Amino acid sequence: MTQTIPTTEPAAGVRPPAAGRRLRHTPRWLPWALVLPALAVLGLLLIYPLGWVGVLSFQDFGLRELVTGERSWLGLDNFRDVFHDPLLRTALPNTVVFAVVNVALTVAAGTAVALLIAQLGQVARAIAVGAIMVAWAMPAVTVTYVWVFLFDARDGFFVELAGHLGLVDPDQTNWFTERLAFYAIATVNVVQHGFPFVAVTVLAGLSTVPRDTLEAAVLDGAGAWRRFWHVTFPLLRPVFAVVTILSTIWDFKVFTQIYLMPGGNGTNRDVLNLGTWSYITAISQNRYGLGAAIAVLLTLMLLAITAVYLRTLFRQEEL
Amino acid sequence: MRVLGRPSGVKASRTRWGRLVAGLAVVTLLATACGSGSGAESAGITDPTGTPNGDGEKLTVWIMEGTNPDPKPYVDELKTAFKKETGADLDVQFVQWAEAHDKFVSAIAGGTTPDVAEVGTTWTPEFAEAGGLIDLSEAVKKSGLESDLVPGLVEAGTIDGKLYGMPWYAGVRSVIYRTDVFKKAGVEPPTTWDELVQAGEKIKAAFPKMITFPVPGDSEYGVDPFIWGAGGDIATEKDGTWSSGVDSAAAQKGISFYTGLATEHGFSSPAATTWDEADLSDAFSRGQVAMMISGSWTPGALIDANPDLKGKIGAFPIPGPDGGMSPSFLGGSHLGIFETAKDKNLAWALVRMMTTGEFAQKWSEQSGFFPGTKSLLKKVQQQNDPLVAPFAKQMSEAGASLPVTELYGQIQGKKTMAAMLESILSKKKSVADATKDAAAEMDDIFSKG
Repeated sequence: MTQTIPTTEPAAGVRPPAAGRRLRHTPRWLPWALVLPALAVLGLLLIYPLGWVGVLSFQDFGLRELVTGERSWLGLDNFRDVFHDPLLRTALPNTVVFAVVNVALTVAAGTAVALLIAQLGQVARAIAVGAIMVAWAMPAVTVTYVWVFLFDARDGFFVELAGHLGLVDPDQTNWFTERLAFYAIATVNVVQHGFPFVAVTVLAGLSTVPRDTLEAAVLDGAGAWRRFWHVTFPLLRPVFAVVTILSTIWDFKVFTQIYLMPGGNGTNRDVLNLGTWSYITAISQNRYGLGAAIAVLLTLMLLAITAVYLRTLFRQEEL
Repeated sequence: MRVLGRPSGVKASRTRWGRLVAGLAVVTLLATACGSGSGAESAGITDPTGTPNGDGEKLTVWIMEGTNPDPKPYVDELKTAFKKETGADLDVQFVQWAEAHDKFVSAIAGGTTPDVAEVGTTWTPEFAEAGGLIDLSEAVKKSGLESDLVPGLVEAGTIDGKLYGMPWYAGVRSVIYRTDVFKKAGVEPPTTWDELVQAGEKIKAAFPKMITFPVPGDSEYGVDPFIWGAGGDIATEKDGTWSSGVDSAAAQKGISFYTGLATEHGFSSPAATTWDEADLSDAFSRGQVAMMISGSWTPGALIDANPDLKGKIGAFPIPGPDGGMSPSFLGGSHLGIFETAKDKNLAWALVRMMTTGEFAQKWSEQSGFFPGTKSLLKKVQQQNDPLVAPFAKQMSEAGASLPVTELYGQIQGKKTMAAMLESILSKKKSVADATKDAAAEMDDIFSKG
C-alpha cells in the first residue's frame, strides 16, 4: 500500500488509473501469500475430502480396506454398478424432479415475500424480516421433526383436520408411504426453510432498483406485473442468478429432510434419493467406494444441470 | 442402537444423527487412518485358568452406555475385585451405542483398540474378520465353560468354528400384552397362530379404538420369528457361500401370516407401516396398543413412560404355528479381547470375572438383560416374575441368531427386510414379489461382499 505513486496524469475516466499501477509494483507472490491462509483452510476442509471421495469411487473400499490399508482398484465398476442398480430408477427422478420443483417454488415464494416486505412501513418490515429470519435460523433437523409431527399418521394435526373435513379416514391414512405425498411434505418443509434466504437477498436487491425508473414505468401505464418483469427482474438478474444457483445446490443434495422422515432411511424404497442412497450405501453398509461413486455422480449432475440451467435462464453477457 | 433397538423415540433420532455425524467423521478419518495396521502383538492366552499377576498393569475396557442405568457402583466393585485378584487397574470407558460402531472401526484401523470391550453380537463377526479380535475357543474350553454358555450367543460369536466373543448378556423379543385388555375381551394368551388370530378378533371387537397387534414396517426383528416359526430361514450357508431363504415356501408362509395380521385381519394400522420399534413402544406406552412384539428389556421403560400401565402388563412367548414357540432373535453383547491387548492372560481373567458368577449375575439384575450362561439363566427363570419368566423361557428354549456373517450387517444397513415389509404392508407388492425382490437383493450382497 505504501508503494502507491501519486499520479500526475489527468484522470481520463471515473476510475483512477492508480489501481492498475499499484499491481505492477506489487510482488507477484504477495496476493497469493495473502489468500494462503484462506486457501489452506478451504483446501483442508473442502478440496482434500472432495478429492478423496473421487479417489474412493474407483476403489472397492470397505471395512477390510479401511482396517488393513489395502487398495483394490476397480476402474469404473462402481459406476457401472450404480447405473445398473434398479434403485437408480427411483432415486434419480426423485432427486431431479424434487430439486426443480423446490427451486422454482423457493425462488417464487422468496421473491413474493420480498416484494411484499418492500411495501411495508419500517416497523412492520422489521417484524416481518425478524420472523422469516427465525424460520431461517431453525436447524433442519428440528424443522423436519415439526413437519413430520404435523403430518404424522393417526394423530398428526393435518391428518385430523382432513379427517374432520371428511377428506380421509385418519385411521387408514399414512401419507409417508406414498411417494407423491411424501415429497409434497418434504417440499413444504424445504420451501419453508429455504425461502427466507431468497427473500432477504432479493429484498436487499430491491433497494438498488432506482425509484425514478419505476416511476417512469408507472407514468407509462405499466401495471405491477409488467413493472416486475420489465424493470425489476432485468435489473436484479445477478441477484436471481445467485439465489437460483444456491437453491439448486441445496435442493439437489437434500439429505437431512428426507432421511429423517418416516421411511426415508431406506425402508421405503420409493422415496430414496441420491443423497440418502449414497449415505445408506457408504455409511450403513460400509461400502465406501460404491457410496462415493453415487456421490460423485450427484456432484457431476449438479454441475451439469447448474450450467445448463443458468445458460437458459440468463444469457451469458448479462451476468 | 443397532443391535437391540431402544425404547425411546428421542434416543432413536439421536442415534440416527449420531451415526450420521460419526459416519462423516469416519469418512474424513479414512484419509488419515489408512495404512497403519494393528500394533505390536503379544502371545495369546497361555494360561486360561490361572490368576495372572498384573501388578502395575492397567487394562482399558469399553462398555456400552445405557444398558445398565447406573453402572458406577458395578464398575467400582469390579475395579476393587480385579485389583485384589490380579493387582491390575482398570480404565473403564463408556461408549454410546450410536457412535460405537464407527469408534471401533477407527480404533481397529488405527491400532488403538482397548484391551477388552463389549461388542454387540452382530458386530463380532465383522470385527473378527477384520482381524481385530482374538480367538477365545481354547481358553473357554480349558476353563470348563464351554457347555454352560447360552447356545444362541455362542453361535452368534462363532466363525469357522472359532469363538471370538464371550457371551456376556442378551435380550430376546416375545409378546408384551395388556392384561386388563385381554381380561375385558375375555381372551387368554394364545399358544398357536390360529389362537392369535382368534384372540385378535375378539380384542378388535371389544376395543375398536386400540391397535390390536401393530405390525411395524421398520423392524425386521418382528418378522423373523414368523419366518423361523414356519420352518423357514433368513439365509443359509453352504460351503462358505450364503444364500437367502426369505423366498422359500416356508418363509413366505410365515411372512404372509405376520403381514396378514395387518393386511387381512386389520389388527394393525397404516401408521405402523413406517414405525420402528421406538415408535411402537411410544404407542404402547400411550395406551394405544393391546399387544406387540417387544424386548425383554422394555417393560421397565414402558412403565416409566406411563406409570398407569403398572400391573397391567404381561408377557408370553411368541407362539409357534401349531403350539410350542416361534424362535426369536437373541441379541446382546459379547466381551471380546482385542489383538492389541499386551497381556492377554490378564484380559482373559477380566472377561472370565465379568461373564461368570457374581459379577455376571449383578450385571444382569441391574440391566434387566439375561446372563450369557445357562446356570445363571436358570436362576432367573426360577424367580417366576411374570414379566421375566416368559422371556427367559423364550431365550433358553427358542432363541435364534441371524446369519453370522458381516455381510448380513450390510443387509441390515440396506434395510432389505424392512423394505420388504414396508412394500407388503403398504400394499405396493404381493408377498411373493416382495420376498423374491428381497432375496435377490440379499443374494447380490452375499455374492459381491
